[in-house]
Amino acid sequence: MKKLSIYQIAAKNLLRKRTRSALTVIGIGLSAWVLASLLGFNRGYDTALKKDIDNMGFQVLLTAKGCPYEAATLMLKGGTGLRYMSESVIADILAQREVDSVTPMLMQAVFDPDRGDSGAIDAYLGIDPATFPGMKSFLKFKQGGWFTDPAARVAVLGYEAAELEQREVGDKMLIPDKNIELTVVGILERSGTQDDGTIFVPIRMLQEEFGQQGKLTAVGIKVDRKADTAALENRLYDLPDVQVVSMAQVKNTIMSLVATAKVMVLSIAVIAILIAMVGVINTILMSVFERFQEIGIMKSMGAMPKDVFRMIWTETIILCLLGGALGLALALGLAQVTDLLIRRLLPYTPTGRLILIDGPLMATTFAVVLGIGLVSGMYPAWRAARVRPLESIRSEGD
Amino acid sequence: MKKWAAATSVFLLCVLPLLAAVGCELNDPDRDVKRLFPHSTGYRTIYASILGKGGAALMQQVERRLGDSFKGLFETADVPYTLYRIFRGQETIGYIHGVNQKGRYGGIQPVLALDSEGRILAFYFQKLTNNHARLLRAPEFGRQFIGLNLRDFDGYDVASGRSVPGSRIAAIRNPSPKAEDDFRATLRAVKKNLILCDEFLLGNRFLAKEPDA
Repeated sequence: MKKLSIYQIAAKNLLRKRTRSALTVIGIGLSAWVLASLLGFNRGYDTALKKDIDNMGFQVLLTAKGCPYEAATLMLKGGTGLRYMSESVIADILAQREVDSVTPMLMQAVFDPDRGDSGAIDAYLGIDPATFPGMKSFLKFKQGGWFTDPAARVAVLGYEAAELEQREVGDKMLIPDKNIELTVVGILERSGTQDDGTIFVPIRMLQEEFGQQGKLTAVGIKVDRKADTAALENRLYDLPDVQVVSMAQVKNTIMSLVATAKVMVLSIAVIAILIAMVGVINTILMSVFERFQEIGIMKSMGAMPKDVFRMIWTETIILCLLGGALGLALALGLAQVTDLLIRRLLPYTPTGRLILIDGPLMATTFAVVLGIGLVSGMYPAWRAARVRPLESIRSEGD
Repeated sequence: MKKWAAATSVFLLCVLPLLAAVGCELNDPDRDVKRLFPHSTGYRTIYASILGKGGAALMQQVERRLGDSFKGLFETADVPYTLYRIFRGQETIGYIHGVNQKGRYGGIQPVLALDSEGRILAFYFQKLTNNHARLLRAPEFGRQFIGLNLRDFDGYDVASGRSVPGSRIAAIRNPSPKAEDDFRATLRAVKKNLILCDEFLLGNRFLAKEPDA
């Protein structure tokens, strides 16, 4: 006669009620899916946001007080409201020990009467070819490269700007109103950042052509990795007539915006896990009650309480292992769908993958699901282990 | 001020990808449709690309009809075109379509309003950067295109800019000889626009009589 191991008995017991076992596995699987996706989202969102902020090239932006520091704000303000600071501010910034490097910028806007029905604003960002490309080293070129002469009449276009203007390397551009002809020397690849819509020109040329010699609208500051950025920001505030825009602040603000959504999703995950736990307990407990006499007979044949406990516990663990595997498969397979859903729900989502599921995260999810199984299985297993053989056999036919 | 700056940054991060959308859509479709078709009661927006409608074969056909190949980084088979079908009640009374065309100093966006037979009812530039843009954008220039259809462009060579003497295309005057590049780019864009409308909207009604079709 073939001797069955306790694991085989447990598996056979689960197969006796296939539908119930399958539904329990699905319940655990859904909980594991939510959990893995949530953990993956926590990691993915932070990583993607950090990458987006790193892609800005500098951690702190200094602008003249009240000056719109991005092209979009300038457009919203109709090209007005530019405020300037003196180039001498660079020496003050470089004197700070936390500063790794700086890059001066000048933004200028002109009204193009021939754009659209009633004209539009064109913005140009003057940059220093000696420092800006180094800070934005992640920017790749589709055609050409950065200009090197800070006074040349040339331009580098972000991908979207080039697409709108249908420009390629060697083509000409016109700064309306000023009648200045620029030669396109570079087209950037799409970066998913605001640089895609920017027209970069040499800062010295822009200063001279617009009569803004010695003036800047912004300074990008790259902070030393180990330095205290907050302390630097506080000292920068002491400089006259400047405003400090910290990318760390931006990150914190965005993180606080999504924190509510994260808490909501976490709550759903906890509820799902609790429901799964109750489901597991219910399934195993029902199975124990249904096999009351059977367990009694096993014990009367010599099975010890610890054997019965182990058998019932094993059933729980098998359910949880299957459910965990299903949940992880769902999380991996549907990561892109989850990504899309989150992007529709959140007010701001960074570029890049929002759901990052890797080996350690899968192991964590699996461990949590297994832990739930072990805890959930304890009570039914304890109840089964306490079955008295005679009582259970007598109860037959009740 | 710090909070304001951070909040503005968040706003910018949110809106910039939206502002970055590129295509030749009407600036204000509701207003533009009403202006071009005052008697219309509605319109439907249709999105189409050469790649999606017929792939490489359609690309070859469009290039053959145009008499020129698609060029550069941005004139490709996957460019999404936005076409507007205009209704009065249930009846289609016309179409509006604009294309992007490389000009001397930037992108040109000539927009055509067509009747249901494919004849030009109105022409205007939605975007054009040039020292002489004022002359090209003048209503007198646009009026020269009214009544033309794709058949009129049959003898027009977009690559060389040569047209059949005495033809309706040869009669179109460039208001500014210094803007010859943009004038020719405009004619190429109009021909391309009409071909795409024929392919996407008019069931190739102008294709049958082509010598090699």
